[in-house]
Amino acid sequence: MEVPKHILITGASRGLGRALAEHFIHRGDFVYGCSRSDQTLDAENYCHFKANISSESDISEMFSKLRKQTKYLDALINNAGIASMNAFALTPLESFTKIFATNVQGTFLCCQKALGLLKKSANPRIINMTTVAVPFQLEGESIYASSKSAVETMTRILAKEYGSFGITCNAIGPSPIATDLIRGVAIDKIQNLVNQQAIKKMATADDVINLADFFLRPESGMISGQIVYLGGVS
Amino acid sequence: MTNDDIQKIIFDALAMANNGREADSQIPLSTETQLYGTGGHLDSMGLVSFLVDIEESLQDSGIYISLSDERAMSQQNSPFRDVQSLSGFIVQLIGEN
Repeated sequence: MEVPKHILITGASRGLGRALAEHFIHRGDFVYGCSRSDQTLDAENYCHFKANISSESDISEMFSKLRKQTKYLDALINNAGIASMNAFALTPLESFTKIFATNVQGTFLCCQKALGLLKKSANPRIINMTTVAVPFQLEGESIYASSKSAVETMTRILAKEYGSFGITCNAIGPSPIATDLIRGVAIDKIQNLVNQQAIKKMATADDVINLADFFLRPESGMISGQIVYLGGVS
Repeated sequence: MTNDDIQKIIFDALAMANNGREADSQIPLSTETQLYGTGGHLDSMGLVSFLVDIEESLQDSGIYISLSDERAMSQQNSPFRDVQSLSGFIVQLIGEN
């Protein structure tokens, strides 16, 4: 039987983060989740931290509390993210700042603060989240896609820097999934996007969970610095 | 936090680093121990790991300082060269905090 893992998931209260948290909770792992909202998941093996991922003080406080809960972390899943659709020329600076603060700065801070706990694990893993909006270079998604481009580069460089601690760092780029992140995007736009994929169908949370499971397996210790998109997008 | 407290945190972090090292490459727990640079026991990633452990111990005592800021990296006499210089550097940072 596999030893339960200690896993931190950011943005765990809804969407993909919640689906990932529920999966690992069900599997018997110890899951630590955070979100801006109060705890919405209730399980013996779940611990929630209320934290805004774009706030350095919130993240520092969360990791201080986390170190009192566990001596090590097997995986950090940087799932928290925000998106915004707008024409580049009309995008307010406030949107740019908010998106980069959450998607890039939040991932940066969590990867940095988690190092001490991760390096004490036998098979430490970091999974970051990106998007097919990067390779598709989607119009109207310039700031969101740019932020995820930064996350992809960070993932590849971190794979090298943290490699000496045995930490692998990879990123998952989901193709369109029906989550809050794409609510409000016109159906024909989504369908048009799906039609450009090698596998022309919407993804599900289970597709992301499958890939996360793969990265987290002890046997995946040689896989690092990889950006894997769903739907056959490359 | 006294000098002795800080030295204990440094020695604890060195002991943690020793956990992952072979018996013949253990780092001595002494104020004279060379840490980084010529004659130092730590390579660059070893230093990163060591500083992270110290920062976390300090945070657990409610002290939030960054040991690896640009000033430390650019100082001619690196504060990371031995235990004594690192201890003095931490005292200085806490004083400024």
